Amino acid sequence: MAADGHRLGPLTVSLVALTLTGIFTAGALWIGGYAPMSALGSLFTGAFGSVDRFLSVTLVHAVPLVLTGLAVAVAFRAGVWNIGAEGQFYAGAVAGVWMGLHVGHLPAVMAISATLLAAGVAGSLWALVPALMRLRLGVGEVITTILMNFVAVHLVSYVVRWPLQEARGVFPNTDMVGEAVRLPILIPGTRLHAGFALAMVLCLVLWAVFRFTAFGFGVRAVGASEAAARLSGRIDVRRVVLSTFLISGALAGLAGGVEISGRTFALYEGLSPGWGYTAIAVALLAGLNPLGVVFTGILFGALEGGAGAMQREAGVPAAWVSGIEALVMLAVLAVDQAARRIRPVVLDVTHRREAQEAQGV
Amino acid sequence: MRGVRKSFGRLVALDGADLTGHSGEVHGVVGENGAGKTTLMNVLAGMVRPQGGEVFVEGVPVEFSKPRDAWRRGIGMVHQHFTLVPRLSVLENVALGVRSGGHGFRLPYPRIRRRLDELRKLTGFAVADEVRVEDLSAGERQRVEILKLLVRDPEVLIFDEPTAVLAPQEVKELIGVFRRLASDGRTVLLIAHKLDEVLEAADRITVLRNGATVHQCLRADADAGVLTRAMVGRDVHRGVRASVPAGPTIAKLMRVGATGSHGQAAVAEVGLEVRRGEIVGIAGVDGNGQGELSEILAAVREPDSGTVELPDHIGFIPADRVGEALIGSFNLSENLALALVNDSAFRQGPLIRWSDVRARTAEAVDRYGIGASGPQTRTAHLSGGNQQKLVVARELKRSRDLLVARNPTRGLDVSAAEFVRGELLRLCSQRGPSSEFDDRPGIVLISTDLDEILELADRIHVIVRGRLLPVEQSEASRETIGRLMLAGAEGPDGG
Repeated sequence: MAADGHRLGPLTVSLVALTLTGIFTAGALWIGGYAPMSALGSLFTGAFGSVDRFLSVTLVHAVPLVLTGLAVAVAFRAGVWNIGAEGQFYAGAVAGVWMGLHVGHLPAVMAISATLLAAGVAGSLWALVPALMRLRLGVGEVITTILMNFVAVHLVSYVVRWPLQEARGVFPNTDMVGEAVRLPILIPGTRLHAGFALAMVLCLVLWAVFRFTAFGFGVRAVGASEAAARLSGRIDVRRVVLSTFLISGALAGLAGGVEISGRTFALYEGLSPGWGYTAIAVALLAGLNPLGVVFTGILFGALEGGAGAMQREAGVPAAWVSGIEALVMLAVLAVDQAARRIRPVVLDVTHRREAQEAQGV
Repeated sequence: MRGVRKSFGRLVALDGADLTGHSGEVHGVVGENGAGKTTLMNVLAGMVRPQGGEVFVEGVPVEFSKPRDAWRRGIGMVHQHFTLVPRLSVLENVALGVRSGGHGFRLPYPRIRRRLDELRKLTGFAVADEVRVEDLSAGERQRVEILKLLVRDPEVLIFDEPTAVLAPQEVKELIGVFRRLASDGRTVLLIAHKLDEVLEAADRITVLRNGATVHQCLRADADAGVLTRAMVGRDVHRGVRASVPAGPTIAKLMRVGATGSHGQAAVAEVGLEVRRGEIVGIAGVDGNGQGELSEILAAVREPDSGTVELPDHIGFIPADRVGEALIGSFNLSENLALALVNDSAFRQGPLIRWSDVRARTAEAVDRYGIGASGPQTRTAHLSGGNQQKLVVARELKRSRDLLVARNPTRGLDVSAAEFVRGELLRLCSQRGPSSEFDDRPGIVLISTDLDEILELADRIHVIVRGRLLPVEQSEASRETIGRLMLAGAEGPDGG
């Protein structure tokens, strides 16, 4: 996925893609009969208009996007096409709320740790199923991870109606977890919770893992060329694939736990408006770079956060934001491919071979 | 073609290349890797637009911007890589090359069949129409490729290193076909790097060096020495191997079998013993189980049956540079790290000591003369020859016990290939200065280049359809080995 066939950096690709997305969105809004400038303007002020909106809306929305985006980036880096962040998110949310409801009496540090740990482990286990199917049976993970998403969504529906339904038994949601389980607020007076800090730290950690460690190197090697990694005799491809699945699932599951413990405090259907799918756009736009995910996660958080304002002020349905997100993804892929073509050196296989031959002089 | 120039970015591929082909002749185009042979032919075939110079066909200046333009002038090319669809039959593949003459959506099969029959007579190729291409051997596929070209009745046929995948006897046959095509009034342009083949096939020879024509002559006025001097600019001597007694056994395979990617038996009942300080050569046409056998020897594949005894420190040079040996999107240091990532000298706990890896890379770049701007250069941007040097540098360094090398000099120019062969010989003949015991590695050289094997190997085996056939020391010659290579070659599968 990372730009290797051409010399445009991932940053250039992303910026060009974003510009294109802006142009197409404006065009589509105009065709749809809306005023593009005022719609995009209210989207922007909705996300960045005030310090409080930025901290309480944009950054709070960015937390699950950064975490699931990291999950996708890590997996894609190893050539593991995990489209299942959504399901792993829900698995994490279910396990997190279950744990949260049981540990409310413990001191906060322990209660929060237990909740987030349960969420991460559940996400890993959810990813373990497609991982084993790929490694043991050779079933492609693109299909299996997507299918596991549906299972997870229905699992949530079941859980909030039966085993974990609120004590009153009226609505299909769980009770709220206790104060001890709730993540502390980072900046008083806002809704920005410690999950944001956790997400930032994890971005930094994973960036360092890829850059400096043998494990991260193995992941990158397997993603770039499984055959070369295997034939090096130094990298256990199966182990790398399995670990990447588990880490990716844990990150997405953690996102579910952080949502429970930092924002909603309870589980209900539709807890995620598709974070796990948007995460793919977040990761691709970031060029699969964990540090890039910080920025793209916040960018998509702004889109999600500004959508409401756009609807209120410009009368553009919030659902347009999903379209914009999809456009971003298409634009990244298109620009990445187009960049391969415009480089004369890599015009096609024949030309490339010739160029290599010519270099060998 | 006169004064043709072409550069790719900063690389100058052609810089004033001239070539004159006459009808009714086989014209050899020779030169080292990177001399510009393929680029020049691609210009003629309309695959590459030149930036300068002129191209004439029958005295008329032409400008081709795409292959079809060249086609219209009767120029066609058979590339190094095959362009056949494996799932389709021979007839269907040939029909893919025919653009017109059908009615509506129907292809003119009867006409193509008749034409194929004529061509089979002309060329002597016996390939049945209805066989699927995937069931053919490499040599047969190449014949189909040639038939596909001939059906369109070109005046000028260009062949890019057509003998690379063939056994010696097949090469002889192919040269015969070239001669017949020429006597039929066509022009055959033959790119080759084996001088003896060019000397046998060609009527006229053009030598390229650094993108320019440095020598043009008739066959009668040329010999190997003249051509080599023109190609390289100096004399080249191939080293002669001094015989050294081999040491204790370092690797052993017993009754080893393995299935290939399509479930066929790729390697069967293979027994092989490698001793320290010797080079075991394994000759064979590509696709006879070399991939599986080399991976088993390099300890990166478990055999399905039989037992293996392998040492700890094995170097492995796989067949493909990019994708198997190297990762194109990684830089030089990262590619070196592929072999060093578990080496405690390059680790600090979970961290890789990148500064040490970079130092080792700089050392290799220096010693092997790898043309790269630095350890941070991406290997995809290196020439094939430089990539190969990087692989050789990396793998020789870790071959303390055993080196498994497939075509280690493929893609290298004459002097670089000479250097690598010298390194192989040094590797297995030098004992460490202070060691009492034998610390020389053994080498398994798996190559399609018979000359290389004959030159370097102490013992020779031939691999045919996954089986190893030993060659008696006394009768190791091109002819005996060639006969063995063809022994079981009715088809690529089975065994």
